[in-house]
Amino acid sequence: MVDSQAMLDKVWFILPEIWLVIGAMVVSMMGLSGTRLVRDAVPVVVCCFLAVAMAGIAWVYGDADRLAGIDLLMPQLGPYVKMILCAIGIVLAMLSVGLIDRPLEDSLKSGRARFDPIRTSRGEFFAFFLLSLVGAMLVCNANDLIWLFLALELTSLPTYIMVAISRPSVKAQEAAVKYFFLGALAAAMFLYGFALLYGSTGTVVLTEMRDAFAEQAAGDGLNRLAIVGMILAVLGVSFKIVAVPMHFYAADVYEGAASPVTAFLAFVPKTAGIVAIILLLGTVGWSGHGAPGAGGLPQPILVTLWMISVLTMTLGNVGALLQRSAKRLLAYSSIAHSGYLLIGVIAGPGMGINAVLFYLLAYGVMNTAAFAVLSGLQRQGEEIESLDDLAGLRHRYPVMAVVMAVAALSLLGFPPLLGFWGKFSLLIAGIEAHRMPLVVIALVNSAISAWYYLRLVGLPILAMPTPASESITHRPVPWARVAAVIAALGLVALPLFVNELLP
Amino acid sequence: MTLATLAMLAPRLAHEFPVADAAGPEWAAWILWLPALSTVLCGMCAALRVRNKLPAWITVSLLSGSFILTAMLFAGYEQPVTIHLVDWFGITWSDTTFVANFAFYVDRLTLLWMLFVTGLGTLIALYAGEYMEGDVGAGYSRFFAGISVFLFAMTALVMADNLLMLYLGWEGVGFASYWLIGYYYRKPSAVAAAKKAFIVNRIGDLGLALAVYLTWHAFGTVQYAELFAAVQANDFSAEAGGWSVQAIPFLLMLAAFGKSAQLPLYVWLPDAMEGPTPVSALIHAATMVTAGVFLLCRMFPLMVLNELALPVVAWVGGLTALFAASIAMAQHDIKRIFAYSTISQLGYMFLGVGLFTTAGAAYHVFTHAFFKAVLFLTAGAVMHGFAGQIDLRKVSGLRHMPGWRVTSYTMLYACMCLAGVPLVTNGFWSKDAIMAEAFAAVGPGYTALAIIALVTALLTAYYTFRVWFRVCAGPVHYEPGLEQHGDAAGGAFHPRPPRLVINLVLLTISAGAVASIFCAEWINGMIEGSTAAGGLPAVHEAHEGAGVWSDPHAWMPYVAGAVGLVGIAIAWYLHLANRTAADDLKRALQGNVVSAWLPRAMENKWYVDELYHGLIRAPLWLLGHILNLLDRYVLDMVIVDGVARIPRMLGRGFQPLANGVLQSYAVSMVGGVALIAILVFVMPEFLEMLNGWIGGAR
Repeated sequence: MVDSQAMLDKVWFILPEIWLVIGAMVVSMMGLSGTRLVRDAVPVVVCCFLAVAMAGIAWVYGDADRLAGIDLLMPQLGPYVKMILCAIGIVLAMLSVGLIDRPLEDSLKSGRARFDPIRTSRGEFFAFFLLSLVGAMLVCNANDLIWLFLALELTSLPTYIMVAISRPSVKAQEAAVKYFFLGALAAAMFLYGFALLYGSTGTVVLTEMRDAFAEQAAGDGLNRLAIVGMILAVLGVSFKIVAVPMHFYAADVYEGAASPVTAFLAFVPKTAGIVAIILLLGTVGWSGHGAPGAGGLPQPILVTLWMISVLTMTLGNVGALLQRSAKRLLAYSSIAHSGYLLIGVIAGPGMGINAVLFYLLAYGVMNTAAFAVLSGLQRQGEEIESLDDLAGLRHRYPVMAVVMAVAALSLLGFPPLLGFWGKFSLLIAGIEAHRMPLVVIALVNSAISAWYYLRLVGLPILAMPTPASESITHRPVPWARVAAVIAALGLVALPLFVNELLP
Repeated sequence: MTLATLAMLAPRLAHEFPVADAAGPEWAAWILWLPALSTVLCGMCAALRVRNKLPAWITVSLLSGSFILTAMLFAGYEQPVTIHLVDWFGITWSDTTFVANFAFYVDRLTLLWMLFVTGLGTLIALYAGEYMEGDVGAGYSRFFAGISVFLFAMTALVMADNLLMLYLGWEGVGFASYWLIGYYYRKPSAVAAAKKAFIVNRIGDLGLALAVYLTWHAFGTVQYAELFAAVQANDFSAEAGGWSVQAIPFLLMLAAFGKSAQLPLYVWLPDAMEGPTPVSALIHAATMVTAGVFLLCRMFPLMVLNELALPVVAWVGGLTALFAASIAMAQHDIKRIFAYSTISQLGYMFLGVGLFTTAGAAYHVFTHAFFKAVLFLTAGAVMHGFAGQIDLRKVSGLRHMPGWRVTSYTMLYACMCLAGVPLVTNGFWSKDAIMAEAFAAVGPGYTALAIIALVTALLTAYYTFRVWFRVCAGPVHYEPGLEQHGDAAGGAFHPRPPRLVINLVLLTISAGAVASIFCAEWINGMIEGSTAAGGLPAVHEAHEGAGVWSDPHAWMPYVAGAVGLVGIAIAWYLHLANRTAADDLKRALQGNVVSAWLPRAMENKWYVDELYHGLIRAPLWLLGHILNLLDRYVLDMVIVDGVARIPRMLGRGFQPLANGVLQSYAVSMVGGVALIAILVFVMPEFLEMLNGWIGGAR
């Protein structure tokens, strides 16, 4: 009966996820309803399910006995990551209100068309929204490679569809196709890595892999096959966190998708990917397997991650310098932030991982704030994309201009905003782990990023409106703007609770 | 007592005062919050465009509440206490802490200062309510908000229980001063004066900031109670003999000289008279400018840590007194004369601090606050009545004009106080306390300093009564100023005598001045129970047993009184009995090649402004322009743009990779993976090199 008890424990800790899957089913059916009120209630129901899931997370992880007996590599990741995912998920759901099926709903309202369940996709969109979140949450509970793979794919597969249906434009469909094919390529890569890991250790269970690696290290060093497998797996998962060399899709896909979906892409898969990388690295550990006398990750893996981190932040920031489109700029900025995150991963458990988790929270909030501004505005029903559209925003929408400025300053790491504390804790973790060159490179990159982030501050606040930016109006639904204000308030107010928020 | 013995005594002297170790009543917090509340309410009046005298009444009533609370605190005073208001800074890292809360440190020194700050603040706000009536609905709310901010900051400065809160108040009063000097912001000279005051004060504030830091560095705390306990126990870090502790007194001095307008940082105060006259009376004569004296009294236990510090204070004070008095002799603008006399009297106070007679200094601060406030307020009444006329050559015989009697005679009494007329004036007694000490104390050149102080007393009596004999006595004639008052438009100009409220305020403050004649002993007691107690007993010990004639305290009153009367007599001859004599004297001096420079230099304030302009401002201006050119053409064009171009060029290099084609992305991704695999596995040298480098300082 031991096995069934272990199974029960496993299910116990994914109760919130099960609850959200139920939610996904409920909203997918609600979306098909002929009553407008029910269809309109979909985002509200999503938010309610997420809020209940948050309470559920607190409840299931409050069971200390079960938590002590759980068979996970890093059980402490779970509650924090899941809480962030659900909390920011609520804000992201607010962003997406009124995004899907707008032409259909407009024509229904004017009586030009009758309701046809075939033509509506709002329920599906929010169902996939929830399923992707469930995937990211499940990554935290992965204790074997198969679960990890499935959870990662559950995170990504719904996003391909979300990109495609996010707006009625060929650009979105092109982006979805690109995203799907390249995602499949990356999945093949990390699956190959997983296979090699299995081959070299004879197990797919992460905790058992850890023991196997410890045994190997105590013997004649880590299996070379295992290192190849680990590097391939990490590189493959880098696709989820848009790190070099798997970053190529980012700009195109982020630009093609509607802004609320882009905000989702920049946060949810990235969180899942980072957690997956942490779990994978957790099997070899940060105690210097295979490199006698030195702590940290095994040497080849460390070098790989180090290169990825440096290249990612540098390419992200340099790429952002050239952009004229606000969404592409934020896409490159998202790449750069993945590079920063890897500093904490390299630094390892304790300060490093804590800093990574805190940075995920900070990045989630500030990224959502920036995209919420873009989502809250439109030009004749079309999204605004160009940076020039933001010129002189203060004169028309002062609150949105301030939110954009706060978000950009926070992304830049300007004290005392949340982004500063996130970057600060990452850099401190890097210093504590004696990775000075990496920290210096990150600081240089921060300086470069000031060039384009300050444009995001200056254009809305200081520049004068142009005829092009005069034609900008706000979207008819206010929720994206509400979400923008909430996120901006979070950027300003959350630093007051830094000590409580640090995991 | 030689310098060496003084230095030996110094640590011991610092032991002789009680340090707060109990908590005081919590209602005292309202002494600080009432002015803050007044600021907020006046700000609301400004926002609501209130068109009556409401802001004045808000300010007067709340400030009087603050005064009453201070008086209650004084009445219930038993021992030094601290009163905690709210937590402010409480930072701890590894084994270091930095704590600075909003809290009061209440000892007798605090109470002495707070009594006259809040008392005079209330009375002058009452006066200003009448004086500023022309601005009702325009700048009236702004003015009283400024006064309230000032009282808030001054309260924070005086009552603070740590150096950081004192610093906050210090900057706050500087800001309020800037705000109120520039009150007539449409007037370029007022704006320039405000900027000058603010910038010159920055130099002193730098000294205070460094002093706060060094204090924390050396003693590990900025809270007075802990700080003084550490000083008394000789319990400070090994650097006590090092430069940091030795530098603290000089940095404090720099701060005090800036705020209290001493050489060489006095230049802002005369210009500060561009502000409304109640501001000149309250901030630039009675209260704010004494903050420097307060700072040195409060930090007296630290001032004695360097044996050179107090002689320097004494000399700077003495020289400033003489220097400013000489300028005051040749000015024509009444307010400027009083401004220079303020600088000069502040010099006396620093002389007192430097001579270890902090009680004398505090007494002079106290008496000076009253009579100088009256002088400014009467000058303000004259300005108010004569449409802004403030030139002493253009108003004469004021006391013969109807309705000006109270003004003339209160001014006469205040002038007598400033000149030091024996027995009946408070200024005589307080100045006497300092000058006698100058003759008694032993120090580097203190005899010369004492003679300087005596000469300054003569000059003071002369220039003070020059004003009174010119303006209030003599035949009646006047020329109105340029300000347009309603009743002066068209028709002949009639001076407007001051209203009842103004006269009442003048009489009340004069009564305070009379009363302060009798409070020398009281102030001695106040100082002895405070941090400023430092040297008093020791100095008194040094004179014990001296004969009547050799003790300067015995003969000083006669000498000082005589000097004052001589000065008044000269002024009477030159400016009342025989007014042409003054012009003849001036002409004679100017006609003589040898002496021609003297009146001109005095009239032009010894060309100090021009000197500063040439030595400091012009080079800075030139440097600024050179740096601007450098910035624009070298830094911006070559370095900034050049450096910024590098990442962009890099980006362009990579741009072909981001071409939007799916296949090429896939190839790039696989290529990237392959590249990393090659680097890591096929090129072990690369791995070793990179690993060695990224290992950092392991």
